[in-house]
Amino acid sequence: MSNLSKEWAHSSLRGMMLIREFEETADKLSLRGKIPGGIHNSSGQEAVAVGVLSALDPLDVIATTHRSHHHTLAKGFSAREVMAELFTKSTGVSRGRGGSMHLGDFHRGHFGGNGIVGAGVGIAMGAALGIQQRGDAKVSVGFVGDGGVNTGRTWEAINMAVIWKLPLIVIIDNNQYAVETFVDRVTGGGDIAKRGEGFGLPSYTINGQDVVEVNEYTAKARQRALAGEGPTIINALTYRYYGHNVGEKGQYRTQDEILDWKTNRDPIDLFIARATSEGLITDSEVAALRDDVKKEVEDAVDFAEKSPQPDLNSILVDVDSGLLGGK
Amino acid sequence: MEEIFVPAVGMAMDNVVLLEWLKNPGDTVNAGDVIAIIETDKTTMDIAAETAGVMGAHKYQVNDEVPAGNTIAVILGPGESE
Repeated sequence: MSNLSKEWAHSSLRGMMLIREFEETADKLSLRGKIPGGIHNSSGQEAVAVGVLSALDPLDVIATTHRSHHHTLAKGFSAREVMAELFTKSTGVSRGRGGSMHLGDFHRGHFGGNGIVGAGVGIAMGAALGIQQRGDAKVSVGFVGDGGVNTGRTWEAINMAVIWKLPLIVIIDNNQYAVETFVDRVTGGGDIAKRGEGFGLPSYTINGQDVVEVNEYTAKARQRALAGEGPTIINALTYRYYGHNVGEKGQYRTQDEILDWKTNRDPIDLFIARATSEGLITDSEVAALRDDVKKEVEDAVDFAEKSPQPDLNSILVDVDSGLLGGK
Repeated sequence: MEEIFVPAVGMAMDNVVLLEWLKNPGDTVNAGDVIAIIETDKTTMDIAAETAGVMGAHKYQVNDEVPAGNTIAVILGPGESE
């Protein structure tokens, strides 16, 4: 008997499969020059995104990093609108203004990806302060990487969230490499979660390849935040299968290491094994989900290719409050 | 069949120059073998095969400019032809 619901299992598995299919497809399109400006592929990190977002309410806020496709899809944005944004089309999440690194929509609680290392937590902390000031029953989640946790701004934001008991959850999407630098070589004190003790907030290092574990810790952190008890840090250990950016010639990791993660710690395979053994899903249902996400991504590419570029006359839209003629 | 193409890896990469072919049509290719060397505006780069097979025709000659994303050759699997 499983303590997971069948519905949750299917939806989480589908969510992870969609991200994988999306990223594998986007990677190829980027290498072929169809997507301008390159992408940061999140293949391998699906359980962090789906585990966190499945524990949140749709109105909760997230702020993410340069690697944000997985968070955005897991938040419920459609493959169509995310792919269209990668193609910088007017039908994209950010109306074609942002591209891969600037997916976001404030009205749907997505405060954006950004190109500044460690900025996600600061943005999320500001959103958490806003939530507290307004008395909303929401939380704010800031994603940061293992490189970003060694920036000062991240800890300034965490400190403020602690003293003001802000409804903030810090998720370290810890794929262990800051571009080509291994986390242990540049991180004082070993386990990053130990830093939380010094700042006075609960802080956990967890298995980021286990979507259930990520979900449970996030749900607990959300309850704490809603109860007015303040922020939590979750350091989710994961791994990216591709380079930092598309087409990177990575020579800082061994092929054996990459293969080990892909073979023995793949978040999708691990969850299929668990869900199958607990009687939550059958082989044919898994196959049907694979077909389903493949079709969804094919449709998304078709949609993105056929969508128009933003109209030049709309260049001031969303830029100002109306002073310069924007809307 | 694997298409060997010039990857668009730069932020604004346009054309690259094909510097050298390391495999000729009909050669046996192993996964990971370098097929060609190209030169971008910043550096030279190896183009390797991901799969094993037999090298197909050169679609560009040495010193040709190749637009990023274009296929320069294919690797043929058993029983395949161009």
